[in-house]
Amino acid sequence: MSTSADKLVEEYLDRLERELADFPSARRRELVQEISDHIAEARAALESESEADVRNLLDRMGDPADIAAEARGPVAETAPGGAPIVERRSRALDVAALILLLIGGVVIPVIGWLVGVVLLWISSAWTARQKLLGTLVVPGGLALPVGILVVATSGSACIQEPIPGAGVQPICSSGWDSGQIVGSIVVALLAAASIATIVYLGRRMSRNAEVAAG
Amino acid sequence: MVTAQDALLAQMRRGTLQYCVLSLLADEERYGFDLVRGLAEMDGMVTSEGTIYPLLSRLRRDGLVESNWQESPSGPPRRYYRLTTAGRAALDGFRLEWRRFRDAVDHFVERTESK
Repeated sequence: MSTSADKLVEEYLDRLERELADFPSARRRELVQEISDHIAEARAALESESEADVRNLLDRMGDPADIAAEARGPVAETAPGGAPIVERRSRALDVAALILLLIGGVVIPVIGWLVGVVLLWISSAWTARQKLLGTLVVPGGLALPVGILVVATSGSACIQEPIPGAGVQPICSSGWDSGQIVGSIVVALLAAASIATIVYLGRRMSRNAEVAAG
Repeated sequence: MVTAQDALLAQMRRGTLQYCVLSLLADEERYGFDLVRGLAEMDGMVTSEGTIYPLLSRLRRDGLVESNWQESPSGPPRRYYRLTTAGRAALDGFRLEWRRFRDAVDHFVERTESK
């Protein structure tokens, strides 16, 4: 048994271990042990072991990345059976939930957003905390800042008031008074918070899906 | 370069490999190394022998095979795999469908070749 061959095997198993880093440790240990046993038995079957023999043997075992990929399970597109289709369908529902949470209330006031909330809560893509966040920040989604904007602009329309000596002159607030500035900031913050939450949930969704696939 | 044909062959191999494993276990129980050797004997079936182990683990989780540890005459104990009833049913089902599929493809592919 040559030490350079031992080193090759050791490096190979280390690489496999790293490729499996995101697996539960029990599963990782088991798989590495099985591969290690296999290599040991294959080496024992060699009559006189050369470094080339061991390299060939490791080549036949395959790239650790391929082994890890197989352990991760078949990719959704290539998998036989119905499960991946269900997965893709619920994925589409998750995306619909996010879109409705953001702009559903703008398209169909209140109801559009409520449908988004329902889809959010029945989905398995998020944790309860993330769902609570999606519901409370911001209620109504973009419909809330948009609504405020609509109400505010119609309310601050020109006031028609007779001014003595000048006839009827519409008084339009030209320029920004302090109330409007504060209002604009609130609207902008609400819109930004709403968008940020949806972006966050979108990122979480893909990350949770990756973990579930592992 | 990976051609579309290479990708198709890899997918077909991947999809059918688990049934080849089940077939090898149809008559006798085997342990990992022995199974891999059985598969590798056929040219073109397995490209990475190491991928058989995650496959076995999945078959076990799906309840198509079961395993138990047995002492080996040399070296550490070995995990032996055997078919479950569900595994046998899955194999029988696949066998039927595979024959139909194979015959259908042969019907077209072989005919044009013999011209």
